[in-house]
Amino acid sequence: MTNLSEEANCKREAQLEHVWGNLPGWGALAAVNHTSIGFRFMATGMIFFLIGGVLAMLIRTQLAMPEQEIIEASLYNQIFTMHGTVMMFLFAIPVLEGVAMYLVPKMIGTRDLVFPRLSALGYYCYLFGGVIILSSLVLEVAPDAGWFMYTPLSSNTYSPGPGSDFWLLGITFVEISAISAGVELVVSILRTRANGMALNKMPIFCWYILAMALMIVFGFPPLILGSVLLELERAVGFVFFETSGGGDPLLWQHLFWMFGHPEVYIIFLPAAGIVSTLIPVFARQPLVGYRWVVLGIITMGFVSFGLWVHHMFTVGIPQLAQAFFSIASMLVAVPTGIQIFAWLATLWQGKVVFHLPMLWIVGFLVVFVCGGLTGVMLALVPFNWQVHDTHFVVAHLHYVLVGGMLFPLIAGFYYWLPHVSGRMPSDKMGRWGFWLFFGGFNTTFLLMHLTGLLGMPRRVYTYEAGLGWDWLNLISSIGGFIMAIGVAVIIVDIVLHFRFGRRAEQNPWGADTLEWAIPMPVNAYNFSSMPDITTRHPMWENPELVESIAAGEHGLAEVQSLRRDIYGSDAVTGKVREVVHLPTNSWLPLMTATVLAVVCVSLLIKAYLIALAAAAVALVLVLRWSWENGAHPRAAPVGTNDPVDPPLHSRTCDGPGLWGMVVSLMANGTLYVSLLFGWFYLWTAAPQWSTPETSPLALIPLAASGILLTLAVMIYHGAVSRLRKRNAGSLGLRLWLASAIGFTHWCLLAWVLQTSSLQPTELAHDAVLTVALYYLLLHSGLAMIFTVLQALRVQRGYVGSSLPYEPIVIQPFWVYTLGVFWLSFAMFLLLPMAWGAP
Amino acid sequence: MFGWFTFVLVVVVGLWLYAIRRAPEPVSKARARQVQNRWILWGGLVLPITSMAVILAFGVPAGHQMLPLPPAEGKALRINVTAHQWWWEVQYPDSGIQLKDELHVPAGVPLDLHLTSADVIHSFWVPRLGGKLDMLPGRTNVLRLQADEPGTYRGQCAEFCGTHHAHMKFTVTAYSPEDYQAWLREETVND
Amino acid sequence: MTPSPFHPINLVLGLIIWALWFVLLYGGLSIGCAFAPPDAGDGAWTWINAASLVVALMVTGYLLTCAYACWKASSPSSAAKAQPLNTFISKTSAAVYLVSAVASLMLVLPGVRLPPCV
Ligand code: HEM
Ligand SMILES: [Cu+2]
Ligand SMILES: [Cu+2]
Repeated sequence: MTNLSEEANCKREAQLEHVWGNLPGWGALAAVNHTSIGFRFMATGMIFFLIGGVLAMLIRTQLAMPEQEIIEASLYNQIFTMHGTVMMFLFAIPVLEGVAMYLVPKMIGTRDLVFPRLSALGYYCYLFGGVIILSSLVLEVAPDAGWFMYTPLSSNTYSPGPGSDFWLLGITFVEISAISAGVELVVSILRTRANGMALNKMPIFCWYILAMALMIVFGFPPLILGSVLLELERAVGFVFFETSGGGDPLLWQHLFWMFGHPEVYIIFLPAAGIVSTLIPVFARQPLVGYRWVVLGIITMGFVSFGLWVHHMFTVGIPQLAQAFFSIASMLVAVPTGIQIFAWLATLWQGKVVFHLPMLWIVGFLVVFVCGGLTGVMLALVPFNWQVHDTHFVVAHLHYVLVGGMLFPLIAGFYYWLPHVSGRMPSDKMGRWGFWLFFGGFNTTFLLMHLTGLLGMPRRVYTYEAGLGWDWLNLISSIGGFIMAIGVAVIIVDIVLHFRFGRRAEQNPWGADTLEWAIPMPVNAYNFSSMPDITTRHPMWENPELVESIAAGEHGLAEVQSLRRDIYGSDAVTGKVREVVHLPTNSWLPLMTATVLAVVCVSLLIKAYLIALAAAAVALVLVLRWSWENGAHPRAAPVGTNDPVDPPLHSRTCDGPGLWGMVVSLMANGTLYVSLLFGWFYLWTAAPQWSTPETSPLALIPLAASGILLTLAVMIYHGAVSRLRKRNAGSLGLRLWLASAIGFTHWCLLAWVLQTSSLQPTELAHDAVLTVALYYLLLHSGLAMIFTVLQALRVQRGYVGSSLPYEPIVIQPFWVYTLGVFWLSFAMFLLLPMAWGAP
Repeated sequence: MFGWFTFVLVVVVGLWLYAIRRAPEPVSKARARQVQNRWILWGGLVLPITSMAVILAFGVPAGHQMLPLPPAEGKALRINVTAHQWWWEVQYPDSGIQLKDELHVPAGVPLDLHLTSADVIHSFWVPRLGGKLDMLPGRTNVLRLQADEPGTYRGQCAEFCGTHHAHMKFTVTAYSPEDYQAWLREETVND
Repeated sequence: MTPSPFHPINLVLGLIIWALWFVLLYGGLSIGCAFAPPDAGDGAWTWINAASLVVALMVTGYLLTCAYACWKASSPSSAAKAQPLNTFISKTSAAVYLVSAVASLMLVLPGVRLPPCV
């Protein structure tokens, strides 16, 4: 009897593996599985880390002694710019995203992220963007204006080469990947937790990742906007940052740091999440003050958006305004303090077992607290005026970034290694690696504070002898090389462990979280059956989960119709609401990313027609992608044995797709708000702001086109309201009508733009207006195309009264388009008129 | 400030290490809660907030001094400095003197430096005299400095501004009032 | 006018209000200084500083009421809704409101000493 059921269980698991596994051979490139993608993110990120590290070693070699000429000035500038860029954009964020993508579904007890193809697209965008950026270094035309690319230094006049273009286009490309990961993680955490995992039962790591993902959603768009504007200025001469014509270089700084400061916390939060996960495990004691820590996370997420000006204290902003940002900057010390002391209290109450990961955690603490304290000093305006842009800041930033990110990351690597490889890391070599790295790090950067206080500016390729900086720099360089040896030891250790490590038993560290219920090394589907989770420490309270999950005693144990099924659950209570069927392996992400790379490269070589054509192809691919959804034969065609309670998500009105749409619109809205900010900023602050004599746009036709848009949205809205009541009568007709009216609106708007007297290359006023109009055109155009697609799906029978899912997903997009139209009308046209400007 | 922060660092790290070493007695749940809340309250709230208060008490008055408000007595000497890639154009509007890469100033007199740039962003910085201020194209920022002692001070561009940023330096020579008058006379005669 | 103390929006509402207040403060200061700058010699006692102080007190007051409402809802005496999830949300929200209140007030403190537009 037992034998027979064991055999059945084997067959069941084989089928799961078959459905969830990657394609063999090259087919692995079509993988969408979160374990594979997360892993790829991490591996690629580590390669970029090594490249960035080599660049750092070059910097330290050049600075080791005064008046050296090993690397000449222009190359040095490329090197430090690329070091910063690679470390921040190609290493720190993607690696942490990889960790999150790998771990989150496993911790919340599900089998994959909700938008698997988006994960894959994100990865390829990241990979291709990174390769494009790095190729500039090989071609010796790398960007050389520093990783924050201040204008006008990065503008056409002062950086005529393609370096800045590489940066702007490549980074924007990489950011697509960050945002898609952000959207996906938010929706996954909110909507696909194990049955019963209410918000207060969520592993603390997921709170951190939720905050990080939301911060990405709100933090990255300002930089994307800034990059687009700067690229427009460089490529076609629109005025945004040039003073003559009414632009302002400070606008770039604002947009950059509105992204740049939150980014630091985007990097820190997941790393702190690792700390909060590991400490309780090694202290054998639940995290003290879970609620306090959640409070800290939320506060940090918000407050870190109010600090950006502390990078601009020396540009000449009124002192009172600076003081606001100074105070806000110090306020972050509070949530940080809460976390540090929550960790301390956990260690205090627990009986600590000290393993290698703990060593890195302690290293984290020492280094990070030191960096945090110098950070509070930097937030003090007068002190900042003294040390801003000196090596003091370089030291501070490495204490924060390396301490706050790299140390926890390596702790996490050691901790989760057994999960990936099924083997334990070696203690001895690991300790060597740690002490070399830790010692080398402090040797490099501790004295660098002093170098900065003695007046050595950053970003100088050489310095005079005899200013008291010589020995300090020499020591820093020696420390840098010790650190590099440490990194080498760690890498060798990790590589060797795959071969020689001791086999790990199940849950080797005695952890409490669900990822350790998965057999090691991991399989493709995580959980062979999906348990209910009502505690924060499932593996401590129910260690027998390992067996019961494997035996298929929980939900969704059997594969249905060869679908990849997971549970969708309520965002607050975690109660199961639907069965979400996920797409399987697909080549579309790779193809889309490749075409986007073509867009990027052809913009670089200024082949705009090719870029346009490629963009059109990308759109077609994305539409095809959305076509293979819902009741499409490749997704979940309507069948006789479809589950009813809970139903399939594509048969409901509030599936994860809607959530994904809304979160994406939040990112999109942030982009738009950044544009509005730019408008008001230039209007009030640009030294030579000027407006054209007469309004460059025909107001009446513009308003008429707005009325048409309103009409289209009303029709669409009516159709969807009926659909929600499962009434699909004349649905197709209504959708066709909405798209037709949308199209008339689009044509009228395009005509207004065509006949306008806008001079975007002369006036910043007109340049902003032009961008706004193109933004509106893009949105109503897309809304129209999406609607046509839905109308076609109605004809095919993929959308109907029992399949209402997709038109509902599109609805917020229409509403958003409408809102943005009238808001723009008010802000860009009416308000200036009311103010007296034409 | 540095003393206080080093102290905080040592105490926090020390507590952590002790907490790791410590083998606690089993305690009641209520007692455990109490201990936890105490840690978080004192360490997470009180400590950062007092630190902030301490350093603001230092900082705000210090910042106040750097404002280019009208000085209590006398008048500030105005000098216009325009940055170029990669040199400094120095101009004395009162006497019409023009200099390159050097400033000559009287010691003990407040200076109002009107800073702007002809091309990219630079930053004016004399480490031993005070803070730095950026020089932006299209704007003029005013920096208040004062050299208390006669002597020569080294200055340098502090905002990365392109290839030869590392070599964009200047000197400030501060004279006693009499020597300054002598220098002024000599310069105006020379012209 | 506060949402139900058990609604998860409370977890972020306090800080959203703080953020809006911050934007208003910074934007208002910039616009005020651009269009009606008080004389630099007047020191800190100008209409801009006074106005920001008054609004800060109002915002802080509102946030404190919210904090109190959430806190009271979470106390065991209102046992009707005392599920762990509800308690979690309302207690955490109370703390978020409190933090936001303090942060909102702190922002304007330098206005006591510093003149607005230089
Ligand atoms: C592995 C050892 C590392 C060494 C020896 C190192 C060294 C340096 C040095 C010497 C500079 C100063 C360049 C200059 O201002 O002239 C620098 C800048 C910088 N580093 Fe690192 N670094 C290391 C790791 C990292 C890591 C892990 C990160 C980020 C996660 C990072 C991020 C940055 C950034 C953002 C800059 C500023 C670049 C700029 O000024 O444009 N570094 N690094
Ligand atoms: Cu910052
Ligand atoms: Cu310069």
